[in-house]
Amino acid sequence: MSKPYRLSAGGSRIDRNRRVSFSFDGRQLTGFAGDTLASAVSAAGQRVFGRSFKYHRPRGVVGLGAEEMNALVGVGEGARHEPNLRATQVEIHDGLTAVSQNRWPSLTFDIGAVNNTFSRFIPGGFYYKTFMWPASFWKHVYEPFIRRAAGLGKAPEGRDPDSYEQIHVHCDVLVVGAGVAGLAAAEAAAKAGARVIIADENPVFGGLADISGGAIDGLAQADWALAKARTLASAENVHVLNRTTVVGHWHHNFLMLFERVADHDPARLRTGAPRHRLWKVRAHQVILATGAIERPIAFANNDRPGIMLASAARGMVERYGVAPGASGVLFTNNDDAYQTALVLKAAGVAVRVVDSRARADGPLPAKAREQGIPVDAGSVISAVNTSFGGLSVTDVRIASYRKGQGRVIKETRAACDFVAMSGGWNPALHLWCHNGGKIRFDDQLQTYRPDRHADRITAVGAANGSFTLASILEEASAAGSRLAGSGNVHPVPAVMQAGQQPMEPIWFAPATGKYNEGNKHFIDFQNDVTAADLELAQREGYESVEHTKRYTTFGMATDQGKTSNLNGLGVLSEATGKPIPEIGVTTFRPPYTPFSFGSMAGVLTKDLFLPIRRTAIFNWHTAQGAVFEPVGQWRRAYTYPRAGEDNHAAIAREILAVRNKVGLLDASTLGKIEIRGPDAAEFLDRMYTNVFSTLKVGKCRYGLMMNELGFLTDDGVTVRLAEDHFLMHTTSGGADRIAAWLEEWLQTEWTHYRVFVTPVTEQWSQFAIAGPRARDVLKKLAPSFDLSNEALPHMSFVEGRLGACPVRVFRISFSGELSYEVATPSGFGLGLWKAIIEAGAEFGLEPYGTEALHVLRAEKGYIVVGDETDGTTTPVDVGLDGLVSKKKADFIGKRSLEQSYLKGPNRKQLVGLLTEDPGEVLPDGAYAVRQVKDKPPMEMIGQVTSSYRSPTLGRSIAMALIENGRARMGETLSFPLPGGKVVRATITDTVFYDKEGAKLNV
Amino acid sequence: MSELSHESPLAGVTPPPGLSVSLREITDRGMIDLRGHGSDQAFLSAVKGALGLDLPLRPRTSAGSDDLRVLWLSMDQWLILCPRTKAAEILAALRSALTGVHSLAVDVSDMRAVIRIEGGGCREVLMKGTSLDLLDAEYRPGCCRRMRFAEIAALLSVVEDNVFDVYVFRSYARYAWDFVCATAREPARVRLFGAQDAPA
Repeated sequence: MSKPYRLSAGGSRIDRNRRVSFSFDGRQLTGFAGDTLASAVSAAGQRVFGRSFKYHRPRGVVGLGAEEMNALVGVGEGARHEPNLRATQVEIHDGLTAVSQNRWPSLTFDIGAVNNTFSRFIPGGFYYKTFMWPASFWKHVYEPFIRRAAGLGKAPEGRDPDSYEQIHVHCDVLVVGAGVAGLAAAEAAAKAGARVIIADENPVFGGLADISGGAIDGLAQADWALAKARTLASAENVHVLNRTTVVGHWHHNFLMLFERVADHDPARLRTGAPRHRLWKVRAHQVILATGAIERPIAFANNDRPGIMLASAARGMVERYGVAPGASGVLFTNNDDAYQTALVLKAAGVAVRVVDSRARADGPLPAKAREQGIPVDAGSVISAVNTSFGGLSVTDVRIASYRKGQGRVIKETRAACDFVAMSGGWNPALHLWCHNGGKIRFDDQLQTYRPDRHADRITAVGAANGSFTLASILEEASAAGSRLAGSGNVHPVPAVMQAGQQPMEPIWFAPATGKYNEGNKHFIDFQNDVTAADLELAQREGYESVEHTKRYTTFGMATDQGKTSNLNGLGVLSEATGKPIPEIGVTTFRPPYTPFSFGSMAGVLTKDLFLPIRRTAIFNWHTAQGAVFEPVGQWRRAYTYPRAGEDNHAAIAREILAVRNKVGLLDASTLGKIEIRGPDAAEFLDRMYTNVFSTLKVGKCRYGLMMNELGFLTDDGVTVRLAEDHFLMHTTSGGADRIAAWLEEWLQTEWTHYRVFVTPVTEQWSQFAIAGPRARDVLKKLAPSFDLSNEALPHMSFVEGRLGACPVRVFRISFSGELSYEVATPSGFGLGLWKAIIEAGAEFGLEPYGTEALHVLRAEKGYIVVGDETDGTTTPVDVGLDGLVSKKKADFIGKRSLEQSYLKGPNRKQLVGLLTEDPGEVLPDGAYAVRQVKDKPPMEMIGQVTSSYRSPTLGRSIAMALIENGRARMGETLSFPLPGGKVVRATITDTVFYDKEGAKLNV
Repeated sequence: MSELSHESPLAGVTPPPGLSVSLREITDRGMIDLRGHGSDQAFLSAVKGALGLDLPLRPRTSAGSDDLRVLWLSMDQWLILCPRTKAAEILAALRSALTGVHSLAVDVSDMRAVIRIEGGGCREVLMKGTSLDLLDAEYRPGCCRRMRFAEIAALLSVVEDNVFDVYVFRSYARYAWDFVCATAREPARVRLFGAQDAPA
């Protein structure tokens, strides 16, 4: 042997001519192309891959693929580090770095292993029992300790440098798993003309065909599989996906497939290929050909490094040319595992068989005996002895056994350095169960099989509990043809396979020594749950298996009970004396194996993290150094600070420019909806609280909208363009919601109304030109219409041109100043904006942002829906009862306003506030209290809704919703702030500036 | 203000190198949003009089030629595509023909950005942003439908077998463009259901 465990020949997956160097825990190692991390590290003679979750026991490789629960490793460095990968599925490549997990300071010496010595104090339900009290200890003592001591790998450091993506695909038939069953089903479906996707988590198709003996169509199983994989890959109606795990199944055959595009090939990653791709597949039919997972056997210390599943030992030899050790014992309860003994023997590895069945005389055991392999029938392994620290197996004890026997009677000792075990096979039912598939217990197989499912999903082959080649091929081919909609059944190939005698279940092997002290029968290796833990949970009253699961953590976390589920049920069955079907089953949840956060995010990271909406002026704002704020998905210019200015100074300057000269605001985000039809006016009368049917053509009116509950939901100015034609403005954030709201009423309640509603928000760029010089600015832009106060008074509208630019001009104001809102088709927006800036220069025009806008409106006492209202605020509450029509027969919310609690006393009402200290700005949301106390709770009588520093008034102003506020004019209220400070403020009118509105009508 | 300067939503934006499909903005398209009832004969014949073609009444279809095409948006809504320079004239003709007929026609030429995606594999690129089955036979030239694309509302129009127009609201133009650029990178190319290498 060139390496301690690398055999001199064999290994179907490896290329002995291509050496690959990699590192594990800092140790430089060499393997061959095609090796997994598990096979290459094992070939180098290393057994221990990690420490267990709770007891920190040394653990080695148990499985061959996805079922691996012990050898979880971290791969890659820094930002590319990925934790918790199964060493059996990590393909090595030059430069790969991997580390073991959950050990400190090293794998062979681990301080946490003290947990094992004291394990009698860490029984099942330990967390529940120990950490219940005192509550404050959880956060500061228990949790930090547990997080350090237990747990899996570490998160990567830094921002992920790789790209990820997602794709949606539909298909007629999705075949999950490309073993013999999957290949046969896919071939039959494809031949029938279906659009087929076949996905397998492994790099090579064929499943376990290569280690299962037998022949199909005269070919070795693996050669048959290879030929079928080639045929499918070349077909025009088939998409083959390797290295792709189907991680979950959801309603209506929606499945997610996690493709590892470039993990195995750093060169491909360097070309810019996405590292992972998540496939979101909607399949008309799903064929589950997920195969089966071998069961471990619960014997004492069955978790020691060197103890593995029989299939894993066989795969190590046949796929990678790696011997599991020099001399081994195979512990089985079935015939299939004898193949492992034969493979080991052929590879020159000494092996003996321990079979718990009274008789072992099928063709495979017979062949084993012929080969000179010692077979002890009616026997079990009753103890495993190890070198110091449990790092490697030295020998096992073999005891005679008959079913149901509880203690060891007679033992012999057998030296060995590894154990292969097989307790039979469980169909991999995870995907079947993700979306509520029912399963039933099969007495002969002593395992659960698929039963009923509400989706179009069919299990075939081992996943369906069919384990002979003939039955696998027959049901897979039939399912493929039938589910593709073909009446012609695809021909089933001829097979050759050794016959097998039935297995006999063994849920617990009797042990030497004291029960559960140093004698752990592990059921769930990953979560460190033993047979004794499950039995204890029963005694403590956790009768439901779902409770037992949570109490002991059996079958949870990333492993999802792949190897442990049935063994656990078997132990519970024996502990309770109930048959397994009466124990019930726990729930398998997605994902089947973990998949990366990168693939979940896809390309939606960084600049694409959130869809961002930009106005036509966005780039200009950016070039001017604007600070932006989010308004819905819009990014609006908040203020335009100049060199040396902070935001406060910039906002104050912008406000004063509007008050004294003129300002320009990008208001393009305002919602705009065209409404037309013979019933449009009546429709608006119903949608708004106030009357719109009386509005004259060419005039504007401010409207309030309530929901059915009488609460304010939106506001804005609506213009009558023609007798039957209106243009409604909504709040920026409400545009889509209100358009949908209008459609909903028209489509579901008032279907007799002849009204069309078309949202046109994005057609228009819209700017507010506000300030005493606003008219002068517009005049310079060569308007095609009369701008005089007489021709275009406050709340009126005109359509025309500014120079060559088509515009709609609304004389409306949200600042209290002379103000025009000018709308132009968005393509002209930037040109018009620049023209206004240029024309306004001589009048001192300055662009202003949304914060100045808010201060300007607050100085005038204008509300903002969403600031002054919170979803429980009526028009009456905010003092706008004048806008609630008394004459209209009905409108949305009218009846709700009549409810006693909305009309009753003690409603919170909108008032203005002036702080005693004019320099003090109340925080938004500050509470007014009835009486200040040393500490909370204090009785709250209202809250601040808007609060600003007003440069116009040279002092702070605020608005608040205060209980009975309007009856409290002049009263001074206390606002206790965090930290103990109390701000005092006097209740006033909400209009702080130009109470008469004289500035509007100039 | 004497000179008109018109700027398209993606003015100045160019596709990055190394894309698997060709990508550009279509800027000269005029668009009219037309509302009316597909069951209203007066409406249908008035529109036919003005446009010279029958409105498509089958869901997800369009009618017309390169110069004047009407996309079905819903039972009572259509999007008329025409050269931008013709939009005002066509709108006026429509409104005049529809006098007295319950309808609403609005010029929305500036409301959307149009991104043209062209080349082999463009369906796969789009399928990275939408759950529609673009490999289905329904998506042949002339087909159109609204969709959720890259988390936003969009309108898809199949121009030719490997030529698609994606309409998004103007404010999302840059976001949608960047999304397509990210998913259309050559190293991320996906070819669905074609001949492949055998898995190994």
